[in-house]
Formats: sequence, C-alpha cells, structure tokens
Amino acid sequence: MIAEIFIVALLFLLAGFIIPLVVRSDRRILRTISYGCTIFASAFLTTLSLPVLIGSGTIMFPAYAPAGLFSIGFIIDRLAAFFLLLIAVVSFCVALYSLEYSEHTNGGVRRNLLCAGTNLFVLAMVLVVAAADTFSFFLFWELMAAASFILVMYEYDRPSTPRAGIFYFVMTHLSALFVMLGILLLWFESGSFALEHLAGTPSLLATCAFVCLFCGFAIKSGIIPFHKWLPYAHPASPSPISALMSAVMLKVAVYGLLRFILDVFSPELWWGVLILVFGTASAVLGVIYALKEHDLKAMLAYSSIENIGIIFMGIGLYVVMETSGLPVLATIALLGALFHSLNHALFKSLLFLTAGSVIHATHTRDIEHMGGLIHRMPVTGALFCTGSLAIAALPPLNGFASELLIFIAFFTSVTIVDPILKVFLFLCLALFALTSALSAACFVKAFGSVFLGMPRSQESEDAREMPPLMLLGPGILAAACVVLGVFALQVITLAGFAVPLPDLFLVGLLLLMMLVLTYAVLFFTSPRTFRVSETWGCGMHFQEAGAEYTGHGFSEPLDIIFSPLYRTRIRNERQFYDEHNVIFKAGAAEIRLLRVFEEYLYLPVARGFAALTRTIAQFQNGCLDTYILYVFVTVLALLVFLGWSA
Amino acid sequence: MSTDFILYLLLNTALVLLIAPLFSGLIKKVKAWTQGRQGPPLFQQYFVLVKLVKKEVIYSPNASWVMRAAPLVNMAAILVAALFVPLVFVPEPVGGIGNIILFMYLLALARFFMALAGLDAGSSFGGMGSSREMSFSAIIEPTTIIVFAALAIVFKSLDIFAMFAGSLATGTLATPTLILIGISLFIILVVETSRIPVDNPETHLELTMVHEGMLLEQSGKNLALMELSAAVKLTIMMALLINLVIPAGLALTLTTAGILLAALLFVLKGSVLAVIIGLFEASMAKKRLFQVPSLFAMAFFFSTLIIIIEVLA
Repeated sequence: MIAEIFIVALLFLLAGFIIPLVVRSDRRILRTISYGCTIFASAFLTTLSLPVLIGSGTIMFPAYAPAGLFSIGFIIDRLAAFFLLLIAVVSFCVALYSLEYSEHTNGGVRRNLLCAGTNLFVLAMVLVVAAADTFSFFLFWELMAAASFILVMYEYDRPSTPRAGIFYFVMTHLSALFVMLGILLLWFESGSFALEHLAGTPSLLATCAFVCLFCGFAIKSGIIPFHKWLPYAHPASPSPISALMSAVMLKVAVYGLLRFILDVFSPELWWGVLILVFGTASAVLGVIYALKEHDLKAMLAYSSIENIGIIFMGIGLYVVMETSGLPVLATIALLGALFHSLNHALFKSLLFLTAGSVIHATHTRDIEHMGGLIHRMPVTGALFCTGSLAIAALPPLNGFASELLIFIAFFTSVTIVDPILKVFLFLCLALFALTSALSAACFVKAFGSVFLGMPRSQESEDAREMPPLMLLGPGILAAACVVLGVFALQVITLAGFAVPLPDLFLVGLLLLMMLVLTYAVLFFTSPRTFRVSETWGCGMHFQEAGAEYTGHGFSEPLDIIFSPLYRTRIRNERQFYDEHNVIFKAGAAEIRLLRVFEEYLYLPVARGFAALTRTIAQFQNGCLDTYILYVFVTVLALLVFLGWSA
Repeated sequence: MSTDFILYLLLNTALVLLIAPLFSGLIKKVKAWTQGRQGPPLFQQYFVLVKLVKKEVIYSPNASWVMRAAPLVNMAAILVAALFVPLVFVPEPVGGIGNIILFMYLLALARFFMALAGLDAGSSFGGMGSSREMSFSAIIEPTTIIVFAALAIVFKSLDIFAMFAGSLATGTLATPTLILIGISLFIILVVETSRIPVDNPETHLELTMVHEGMLLEQSGKNLALMELSAAVKLTIMMALLINLVIPAGLALTLTTAGILLAALLFVLKGSVLAVIIGLFEASMAKKRLFQVPSLFAMAFFFSTLIIIIEVLA
C-alpha cells in the first residue's frame, strides 16, 4: 500500500511536468493544475514518510535492471524518509506560493516552463533521495542538476542571468564529476553499485572515493571555497526557485554525504576533522560575507552557506565522536545536523519566499532602497520577522533547538581523551558561537533595513501587501518554525531518541507568562493613553529617509573589525594641470570589494584549463593529411605495442 | 513540577526585581563619590521607575508594532533568563531550566528585540546604537561561550543550578581556574551590561553611546521596562559571578531562616561587587569604539587559556 503511494506521488509530479509543456497555451488553469500536482504529490510524500520516520520499517521496491550491472531501484529507510519529508513540506509551501507568484511575473507562455521545471526539479530530488544504489543515485543527481540549471536560466533575458547560469552549470557539473569519480572508485573497491557497507579500515581506494564524494557534495552544498555559485545563482533565479534550491537542493547534497558516511564507509578520525574544518570555515566566512551584502537574495544565499557550514560541523562532530568511541555524543551531533537541515529548510524557504514578495513589491533587490515596509506589508513583515528570529537561533524557535543540540555535543566533548583534539574542538565551538551571534546581527540588519524605519524609494513607498496565497505558503512555514522549536524535545522523543535537550515548551510557556504578567502590571499601573509625535531629528523640523541609518552603516563596525577578511582594492587616480600637482584637473576614485575566492582560486584554475585546452586544440588543425598521419601513428604504435606484449 | 520549584520561580523573580535598581543605584553612587560629587540618593532608581510608569508614552509616526512589543519581549526574556540564575536558593532543576547555553540565548533574544526597536523609528541615533550593540555582542560571543564551556568542564554540568551546587560543595575560591573564570566573567559582565570601558551608561552623546542610543526613542512605561530590564540583567550577571566564586550562604533547602540569611548575604556580596564595579568604571576611560575589539581579543585569549589549563591538567 505504502509503496503505491510513492508511485502515485511520482506520477503526480510527472503529470505536473508534462501537462504545461504539452498544452502550450498561456492559461492560468494549466499552471494551477501543474502546481496542484506538486501539492498533491507533496501531501502524499508527507503521509508516506511520517510513519517510516517514526519507525514502521523500511520500504523496498523491486529493482528494474535493464542491463546486468546497471539497475534502478528505490528504497525508503528512515534517513531517506526524513529527507523526503523535508522535500515534501518545502515543495508544498513553495507550490502554494507559486500558484499566485507565477501569475504576477512576466513571461507569457514561458511561465508554463517554470511550473513544469519546478515539478521536474522536485521529482529529481525525490528520486535522488529514494535511490537504492549508487548508479541510480548518480543518474537522478544529473537530472536534478539539469532541472535546476533550466530554472536558474528562466529569466535568461536579464543581463546578469547568463553569467550566473554558466557559473552554476560549470560548478554543478564539477560536482557531478566528483560524485561520478567517487562512485566509480567505490565500484572498483566493492565490485558493485549497491550501497553496501565497507567494513574495516578504509583502503586507499575507499579513502580516495570518500575525498571525491566529499568534494562533489561540498560543491553542490556550497561549502567554502566551492560556494561561489550560490550568491550568483540565487539572485538570478525566481524567488520560489531560490527557496527550493537553497532549502532543499543543498540538503540533498547533505543527504548524499550522510548516506555514504553512514551506510558505506567506516570513517576515520581525520575525515571528521576535515568535515569539521570545512564546516567551520563555511559557517564563519559565510555569515561574514552575508553581513556585507546588500542584495537581499545574495545575503540569504551567503546565509545558506553559513547554515550548511553548521550542518557540516554537526556531521564532522558526529564522525569525530563516533571514531573516538562516544556513540551517545555522536548521536546528539548527528541529530543536531539532521534537525538543523530540516529547520534550515523551513526558515530559509520562508525567508526566500517573503524576500520574493518584498522584491516583487518594490522592484529592487537592494535593501538600501527598501525600508518602512512593515506598515505597507504587515503580514509579510511578521513572517519575515519569524524567519529572522529562527535563523538567528533565538529561543524558543527551531533554529535555536538544533543549534543547541550541536552546542551540547561540543560542550560535552570534554570526555574525548586527546588534548589537542579537545582544544581544536573548543576553537570550533568559539567560532560556532561567533557565527550564531553574527547571524543575529545580520538579520537585525536585514529586517531593520527592509521593514523598519522610513521608505527609501518611491517603490517602497507604494508597496502593497501580497494576495492571500502568497502569504499562506510562508505562513505554514512560519508556523512550522514555531512548532518545531517549541516542541523540539517532544518531536525528538517521538522519533525515538533520548537527548539532554531543555524543554523549550516550558521556556516558551514561561516567556508567555512573563509577557502577560508584565503587560498586566503595566495595564493597571500606567496610563493607557499614548501620543504620536515626531522623532527627534537633531534639530531638523522633520525626519528624512536620507538621514536614516542604512544597511551599509549598520554593518560598518563589523566591516572594520573584520576588514582583513574583506579584501578591498582602492583606486585613486588624479590628473593635474601643472607639474607640481597642485591644480586639480580630473580624477577617479573607487573602493572595490575583491572577490577573493574568484580572483585567487576560480579564475586561475579556469585560466589554467583554458591554456590546457588551447594546447590540445592545436592538434586539431582541420587538415586531412594531419589526421591521416595521426591514424598512421596510432596503428604503428598499436602494432609495436602488440608485438611487445606478445 | 514540584512546589519547591514554583516557590523558587516566585522567590527568585520577586527578589531580582526588588534588588536590581538598588545595585545600579549603588554603582552610580560610588562613581559619584570617586568624582567628589554627592550623587543621586541610593534609591533614586526606584523613584525614576515609578515616575516613568506614570508618564505618557510617545511613539514616532514611523514606529510599528516592533516598538510597542520590544520592551515587553525584552523584559520577559530577561525575567526568564533571571530564573536560570538562582540568587539565594538552588532547587532541583526542572526541564532544562538552568541550561547555560539557553541562558546565553535568552539574553540574545532580549538584545535582538532591543536592536530592532532602535531601528524602528528610523532615527539615526537608534540605528547607530543597534549597529554597535549587535557588533559588540557578536564579537564577545566566542569569549562568553569559551568561559561557559570552561565552567561546564570544571563543574561537569551544563546546568547553572548544578554549577552553583558544585561550587558550594567544594568551598570558596577552590581552584586557580575558578579565579581565572571569575576575571573573565567580570569582563563579560562589563560588556553585557554596557559599562565603561565598552560603553558609557551615563551619557547620550553620539560618540560614546551604544546601549543608550537604542533607547533614545523610548518613553514612559516602555523606557521604565528597558531601564528595569537593564538593571535586572546587571543583577543576574553579578549573581552568576558571585555564586560561582563566593557561593557561601546559598540555600539548598527551602527554609525561611536559610533563605533570609542567604538573601542578606547576597545583598551584602552584591553591594561589595557593585562597589568594585563602580570603582572599576571610575578608574577607566571609555575606550574608542574600534579599540574595544582588542579588549575582547584579550578576554578571548584569556578564556582560551583556562580551557588549555583545564584540558592539559
């Protein structure tokens, strides 16, 4: 019965993909049907994955094997069910939002492609997570990459999109290449494409396979230094797609890493340290770059890098604990990583969707041109505020609950024997705390600049609240953020794990009590009248939006404190009329933020490859005689080789 | 939840609310004396709060619900955080109340809303205050967490209740580590409660202000809440330091005599600490904004030292 539900969900997604493509007409009903398919499929997937998650047993599907070695099969165990649930919940809300959003965007019949692509993308992600062997895993991984590329390129007529698209294409295929390499190496090691456990100390081949797979998944999930595609691809793609990519696709990469670490490899200590180092670097640098951004969606993209870093820290900690013989702490760390994956999916899609509404209302992505939107879009503002509270890891919301699990794992890691490792873990802990506090600063800046104060442009002045469906989708996500935070302990207990997590329900209750109490005391002791009067504007008669503290201004102290990390290049050219450089003629000055990773890592590698391909291209000179010579040389070489070996 | 715990909730909240304005008044008094001034009366803070509650609230036309909600949320978060630090009586912990990480993040919750309120009116002063407050709180965080982690190592628990009980069991000033932790906690106290040399709680000048800048738009009962919550925060940070380093007198059982004695001792110890804070402030100058991070870096290396000593010992 449950197996059939899964097939039905897949068929719904397939229908949602095919219908708007086959019937090529620009009608709303087509898109509604298509997104309706996503919604139904998501509902089915949720009902399917919940019982498996609580522990009703694994669902197996008979494998389809067209040619001996290669087979396509599905298996849904608890890990897969968890990620299926994550995909389903986010797709459900994104589809609800898109029902309305797609009608408000331009593009005519091209919008059919958007909903078809969304369905294909969700389908591919579901298939990756449910894949039973490495061959089908890779197949669907490629499908996911292709579908997401189409969606990133959706607004291809905007000048910045093709560059972002190409960047994404290259990076995502680099990831696929590494994953393929890893899977092939595993095949050499074990002789099959099945996801089977390699017991004992990993051989050199298995270690290489792990490194390849780690690189592949790190690129796909945006771990620094492979992160550069995120801040390009997200601003370029439509907001619901950004939400799906950031909230779900990055998690599919996390799923891949977890699947291979848990089910295939027997990890060693240094693997955990490696994952932890990359995770910590991404978390800290991600949030520091996010602080500097004033493009709302690029900021959210950097914040995704930060959160993926936190998830990787959890995974790395799991491996370190597991290999140090501390299974209880390992479980806490792993639960923290998994729970944070789910929580990040919820609040990041919430933030991307509400950011999409804001961008739609103000026609700009620059937070310096927003402001005062809380009066114009009150519900969107409240939803964005909930998302900000969750992502800033404030109790009693869900972001805090999962970070607390990782904190607890770090705090209790003192039972590890090796002192050097202990000091290293405490350094990671300190950076983790820094990350979480900086993300609070980052989202005070985001919420403050976008929603509070006065509008800084005419578009923001004229902004209007969104229609109900564009509030319902994010609304469900916001509710989920609150519920998963307040009932974090209960949810984890229900899943069958005992963790030393404080009862956030009690804390929430106490907070509410104190709130009511304070309000009641003031209600009875203090006058209830209030007056609305001008803010003091330093002697000015009225306040001007231009005098307001901007987003740039807000992050300035942190900019200066972390200035060694932001490499800037200052150009100051001046021309003078006289030779003593006294009478100024003309000049230009510029302070430019260096894209460190791009200029020192990506471009040199790209240039190297370009040079290599140019060298190889010289062999192909278009002259028939040369090609005959190549054939002759090859035959000669073959003859010599065969004679030698015989 | 036992009756003991419910009594603890009531007792701790009442005590912290009653005593908080006294300590901040005492610090002001000490500072005035060192400067050769008479200073406001010791109980001036209470009068100020009563006066503010009686006054009308004024909102900016730009202000939204954030401005109205922030003082309440701030106060509620600080009051719940106050429940995590027993002043006089240490009960059995219930449902993770007392978890030191949760305590840290409740303070962050209060700060988050205060910073949003600073931005809400669109005044450049408020924005400046919020920006600086969030920056400082972010870069002190590694130090705070390392000190808390060191505490967790020393007392083998994440629970502040258990830490106090453990400190009480081993006696006063037990280890050199505890003294080091005490010094680090003192620096954190100074930063968290916006005191000299990080911030100046006395002035509203744009060059010095951080915390006060955020409150510039607040008035009436909202300002009263903000002031009271700042005083409560000061008191609980002081209590954390006192009850870890000099825990003598803390009650572990709920008897009237024990509680009274503990309360008396706490007020006494708190007053001494308040005098020390006052003298410390009076002997320091406010640091320039961008020299503050180097102070934090010093505090960080200091606290890392504790960890290294603890780990290698």
